[in-house]
Amino acid sequence: MAATVAETQPATPALSAGMASSHQLHQAGNAPKPLQLTRTFKLADFTRVRTLGTGTFARVCLVRPASATVPLEEDKNAEVYALKILKKTEVIKLKQIDHVRHERAVLADVAGHPFITNLQASFSDRDCLYLVLDYVPGGELFSYLRKYRRFDEQVARFYAAEIVLVLEYLHEKQGGVAYRDLKPENLLLDRDGHIKLADFGFAKRLGYKDDRPVETYTLCGTPEYLAPEVIHNKGHTTAVDWWALGILIYEFLTGYPPFWHQNPIEIYKQIVEKPVVFPQEPHISDEAKDIIKSFCTLDRSRRLGNISGGAGRVKAHPFFHGVNWEDLLSRRQPGPIIPPIRYPGDAQCFDMYPEDDGKGDVYTAELANKYDQYFEDF
Amino acid sequence: MSLPEAYQLEIQALNKQVLQTCPSDILQFCADFFNSRLATERAASISLFRDRGTPSPRFPPSPTSHHFGMMSSQFSSPFGANANPFGGSSSNANPFGGSASPMSSSVMHRVVEEDENDHLAPGASMFSGAFGGDASTEAPPTLRAPPTADSYPAQYNFSRRTSVSAESLKPSADSYDNWTPPFTEKTPEQVERLKCAIEGNFLFSHLDDEQSAQILGALVEKPIPARGIKVISQGDAGDYFYVVERGSFDVYVNDCGFIEPGPDGLGNKVGTIQAGGSFGELALMYNAPRAATIISAEGSCTLWALDRVTFRRILMESTFARRRMYENFLEEVPILSSLTPYERSKISDALETQKFAPGDVIIHEGDPGHSFYLLESGEAAAYKGEEKVLSYKKGDFFGELALLNDAPRAASVIATSDVKVATLGKNAFQRLLGPVEGLLRRTRYQGVKTGVEEMDPLHTE
Repeated sequence: MAATVAETQPATPALSAGMASSHQLHQAGNAPKPLQLTRTFKLADFTRVRTLGTGTFARVCLVRPASATVPLEEDKNAEVYALKILKKTEVIKLKQIDHVRHERAVLADVAGHPFITNLQASFSDRDCLYLVLDYVPGGELFSYLRKYRRFDEQVARFYAAEIVLVLEYLHEKQGGVAYRDLKPENLLLDRDGHIKLADFGFAKRLGYKDDRPVETYTLCGTPEYLAPEVIHNKGHTTAVDWWALGILIYEFLTGYPPFWHQNPIEIYKQIVEKPVVFPQEPHISDEAKDIIKSFCTLDRSRRLGNISGGAGRVKAHPFFHGVNWEDLLSRRQPGPIIPPIRYPGDAQCFDMYPEDDGKGDVYTAELANKYDQYFEDF
Repeated sequence: MSLPEAYQLEIQALNKQVLQTCPSDILQFCADFFNSRLATERAASISLFRDRGTPSPRFPPSPTSHHFGMMSSQFSSPFGANANPFGGSSSNANPFGGSASPMSSSVMHRVVEEDENDHLAPGASMFSGAFGGDASTEAPPTLRAPPTADSYPAQYNFSRRTSVSAESLKPSADSYDNWTPPFTEKTPEQVERLKCAIEGNFLFSHLDDEQSAQILGALVEKPIPARGIKVISQGDAGDYFYVVERGSFDVYVNDCGFIEPGPDGLGNKVGTIQAGGSFGELALMYNAPRAATIISAEGSCTLWALDRVTFRRILMESTFARRRMYENFLEEVPILSSLTPYERSKISDALETQKFAPGDVIIHEGDPGHSFYLLESGEAAAYKGEEKVLSYKKGDFFGELALLNDAPRAASVIATSDVKVATLGKNAFQRLLGPVEGLLRRTRYQGVKTGVEEMDPLHTE
């Protein structure tokens, strides 16, 4: 399938000559020295360039080593990272301690997968927890989707296929890691236009009890993308990610999710009570409709991805007909959209956010006494 | 941060237009201007995408710096960062839809009336309509509009969606604390009224009898002695769901999303909730700011309250216990002994509960077998003709050879008390785990001590 959306020629660098990708630099062996996981970091080791995204208790900033002297836009070999900063007080207040611990643990386990943001290191100080991640300069697939309103089927297929490979890896090769927050906002594009799954804030390795995998019960995700079993608190498994992939493909093809309403309760009612229906325009192929409906199936014993064959069955679905899965995994072809990146530390593909005002509750000694034990892994 | 160049260009163009046309309605004029700019710009970028999209769509390899400037402005979400392009619908939208009827009836209403392609105005920030209950069975007409020409719903809120999360819950079996749900004594009439109030609600409608009973037991009485007491305040954290037992409550929504100081700080009154109604159900899912203020409208009102952790925990504990029970049962079924724990867990996930009254026939002798059964509670007996051949109690199973073939049932199984079984069909089994032949014959079937399949033609030992 890569052949249908991308050239058969090797990728021409999207940028001007002299502007080799970090990927190529790594291969050439003159890459900026990567951070050593054994090294201990502190915030002072980095200079903040700007905020790339914000969440309820986290902020992601583009950072570079404090020692860097060349102006960022002139630095062709810039060493840049995405630093995710979590405020301990907020994490505690929002009862997300377990989630940030899972995030750290899962990210460490999956580091190095071609379609997942790579964790370089983590550290903490008195007030905050930090995750040092490779910077993915293409911005959110969300921005491109909203800009183009919707994707052609072959473009949607390309991204969906890369996500299938990520889910196969998380669910099957990693032994039961559920991602739980699939949506265009959490998919980044790297400089070659490939997917990087970001924000593992809700990712969880499903537990085992007496050798049995145990479903999990904490409600989390994004309203439009929640699976019915999550809404009904029936206990959920990796099957929720396949449901969300159905919603995602629908949103790729139409520009909006199948269940929407300004009132979240109405979204949830629709999710548990209504089938996915398709608009007359744009035309959606039968294969696409079928895979969406197969993912968005209430009965988990019928949901594609969760039924026998797992991800293998998904890959064999007619919607993915012609996809060369090995080529895809080895990123042999560039993606359908090549982000306009001018230099390694370029952040123009990300929206602007107000910078941190430094406000927020104080992480008191009392809190530290009580909670710091939970943050020791950072 | 200085204003982006692309922005300044747009504003200059707008200024020029305004000077030329001297519009009377400035706001509408500006909105129209930007909408048409957006449409042009989109059309251009889509054709760019399409032209380059097949076979290899990509941006120009070396855009000019000006072009980059445009890019960055475009990439900021088309409607501005997290802005709601559709006119503060969070405020306009009356989360109660003017419906003052009790929740259950309005919910029923909605199911009947709502069209599947109903492009009912969303477009608010995620907390806007965050109020459950009678909420938004109808949006104000101003927000209802047909989809745009190309079926792109104009009211969908295209901004980034915020993730939501409840506090993490772990079954007590994992943490070794003995949790029992709270219980408040109620009269049978009260229980009946509460049942009525919640039965149509989608968060309760799928519960089994035990779960319902526990939930009804856990509701706590909350007297509201006087008129004018704020039960919940818009913008506050939400932890409780309420059912009105007696009295009535007024609903106010302030457009800004929270209560402002001053006499009109509550915003507009958008509805009244009477006895039998309920409100605040979103709080049963996760902690979201309240979307409205609720104030007692008369003296001596009574509410029943249920908090999220109790609600979720009741559901979790019973589901968790049942799952583990199923898995333990399944381990005892010889025909399934070769399944991995993972496979057994998938099967437990798919088991369906069925109930039978004493005397009901669960399996008919001679019928083709399609499903197998685990006896979850109660007692049953197997009859061959008139002759009782076996008795079943909790944890026993029967009909499992139906997973292997469609051979006729060798006996009838009849409930001798109220019986609850967990059942799974051969089809579901195969969908989940693949062809049974390979799976179930991985180890030699050693025969069944308790099953009707002792008499199964397949069983030769």
